[in-house]
Amino acid sequence: MTAMIIVAALMAIVLVLFLGFEAWARYSRPGRDLQLASAELIPVDLEAFENLVDPEEERYLRMNLSAREFRGVQRGRIRAAKMYVAALSQNAAVLVSVGQSARSNANPEVGAVGQEIVHRAIRLRIWCLFSLLRMDAAFLFPGQLSPSNAIASQYMLVTYMAAKLPSRAAA
Amino acid sequence: MNLQHPIYLYLWVAPHVLLIAVAIVMYRRGLHREFPIFFSSLLYEFAQFCVYYPIYRRVLIVPAWLYLKLDTVGRAGSTAFHFGILQELFEWPVRHNGSLRQTSAYILKWVTAGLIVMTFAFIGFQYYRQSHRLPQSYGTLEALNITQCFVLALVFLWHRFLGLRMSVHVFGVALGLGLMAGLEPLIQAWKDSELATNLRIPDYLQMGVYHCTVLIWLAFAFARETVPRAGAPAQSEGLPLLEVRERAADLGRIARL
Repeated sequence: MTAMIIVAALMAIVLVLFLGFEAWARYSRPGRDLQLASAELIPVDLEAFENLVDPEEERYLRMNLSAREFRGVQRGRIRAAKMYVAALSQNAAVLVSVGQSARSNANPEVGAVGQEIVHRAIRLRIWCLFSLLRMDAAFLFPGQLSPSNAIASQYMLVTYMAAKLPSRAAA
Repeated sequence: MNLQHPIYLYLWVAPHVLLIAVAIVMYRRGLHREFPIFFSSLLYEFAQFCVYYPIYRRVLIVPAWLYLKLDTVGRAGSTAFHFGILQELFEWPVRHNGSLRQTSAYILKWVTAGLIVMTFAFIGFQYYRQSHRLPQSYGTLEALNITQCFVLALVFLWHRFLGLRMSVHVFGVALGLGLMAGLEPLIQAWKDSELATNLRIPDYLQMGVYHCTVLIWLAFAFARETVPRAGAPAQSEGLPLLEVRERAADLGRIARL
């Protein structure tokens, strides 16, 4: 039972330290996470990304390359696409903070759009997470699985909503 | 004068009375509608106390087997409520959107199932093998309590991943629950061990932790949400709305390259 106590003690220490850090982060530097997120926008070339995850492109490569060559090329494409998805995911976090700011606007119309942006950006971030997992699986089995290409259109929609937001606020 | 008995009574009674204070504050501020499972758990814990206290005072006399059953059912109910509260906290950022709520519930369900399997494989087994002083059902509940610690950390990481600041009330509930869930396995392992035979210290510690938890809940029930102000100076929380156009335009321009 002594081993059990040591394991439980280690867990307790880790969790209590984790909670302490969360409380410290919340009250010693409020809003810092959001400001950091806003400062770290990553440029994303959506056309290049769409090309990397295009099923037609993948079919063309599959038909014109040997199975071994295709696996190598496809792994390289997936590796590049993962970097794009990671960037989209980080930008989605920026959009969440944009939506949060708009949500608290005095104008109810802007508030409602802000709420919508938050929801769509959260959805985008979750999709990015699933997409990264799927890409990991596709990287292991490039012949059997393909990366998803649905994220780009969602990203465009949320950025369009965010870009329209301030003009509504000014009105 | 022996202070052990009054301290014991205080540490047992006071947190349960404070639970009602937390429930009243939540009700008056309309928080019971936003945290229905947490609110119900407060009432459940108080109801449990209302059963156990008369048994302790021998006002209500029950046979040992019935007491053991009541205790197991009571603990199982508390564990179930804790998982419910964790789900409530996890779904909080997307509570107004049905499909996102479903997605987050789906994620939480699978992650929790994975964590339960892992906890039983590595820790629950130890309880079954070594815990001679307690029935096996207690070992199961302790393994589930350990799983709660991981799920609770996941709630914090989930908010961080989404880029959302936790609501003050969500933070308060999670902090209190985390303190209790984090120390419970340690105290329970101590109580189950030979080291704690005839020692009341683990009991006092457990009740003291619970008291602190309830005080945290009470403090956060009183707390007011600080909403990020749009158009406020850069030092305040969130992004000033005036900067939004520039940033969103940047995102759009980059996206169209």
